[in-house]
Amino acid sequence: MHQLDPLDKKLLQIIQDDFPLVSEPFTEIGARVGLSAEETLARLKKLKQKGILRHFGASINSRKLGFVTTLCAVSAPAEKEEAIAKQIAIRPEVTHCYLRKHKFNIWFTLVAKDWPAVEKILEEIAKETGLRPRHFPARKMFKLRAVFHIADN
Amino acid sequence: MLDNKDKKIIAALSEGLPLTLRPYQALADELGISEEELFSRIKKLKEKGIIRRLGGTIRHDQAGIKGNVMVAWIVPQERLNEVGQKCAGFPFITHCYVRETAPDWPYNFYTMIHAKSEDECLNLVKKLTEELALKDYELLFTKKEIVRRMRRYFSEEI
Repeated sequence: MHQLDPLDKKLLQIIQDDFPLVSEPFTEIGARVGLSAEETLARLKKLKQKGILRHFGASINSRKLGFVTTLCAVSAPAEKEEAIAKQIAIRPEVTHCYLRKHKFNIWFTLVAKDWPAVEKILEEIAKETGLRPRHFPARKMFKLRAVFHIADN
Repeated sequence: MLDNKDKKIIAALSEGLPLTLRPYQALADELGISEEELFSRIKKLKEKGIIRRLGGTIRHDQAGIKGNVMVAWIVPQERLNEVGQKCAGFPFITHCYVRETAPDWPYNFYTMIHAKSEDECLNLVKKLTEELALKDYELLFTKKEIVRRMRRYFSEEI
């Protein structure tokens, strides 16, 4: 883990909130923690370089654009799980892919243009890997807010 | 309806904003529109719910949040709303969904739990089983992240 000082932590907290829609947003964000825009940017660039700040931009509600999403699971032989997961994750429609400690050891999410496209991708994965993923489309979402509380207080 | 400029904005913002003093101006220049027009279009896309949030996402595992478990629960149909609303209120639960089941996978409710360690995750799960009075669940601890990325939108049509 990288050493984050209190200012880094505060910035990472603030940057997960809604980002200001103004000409110089980093001036505004820096002011909240007592930094200039330049200092703020320098810190954020470093955090981005280290990969702690993963993405900076917009999170898009794919469903509002007409896309469909689903959660898929595969039970792969343990010794091949990583290779198979990588083979699955190479597809641009796969947005998340994790190895999990379970009989179903590969879990991934698909974002595709419609349900026939989902079926087609799953079919292709089955052909490539010899494993047929099952999938669990969402019926209802109660929460989606991957914001993490990392500031000291 | 979204016009071509909106699509370009969505494509660019899902790709990412530059870390520069005037990031919106940079994007507006790229799209050949004024910063004001970009602001008003982004506002509309937010109002429509197409842009969920502007800002950063972090690698929580790199920021000290090491524990991560997905829990798949069996929740009786008539309790889904109550349980869903309660779970949405817990800060350590970041995702909470009702999902379809399979014949050999009767779990219909999913929560993503994040904490400082796996042990802390287990304590939180125990607390949930008590508070929600649920006993059937599967723990799916993360072993490794293979990919996590933003979907690209409209990149093939513009």
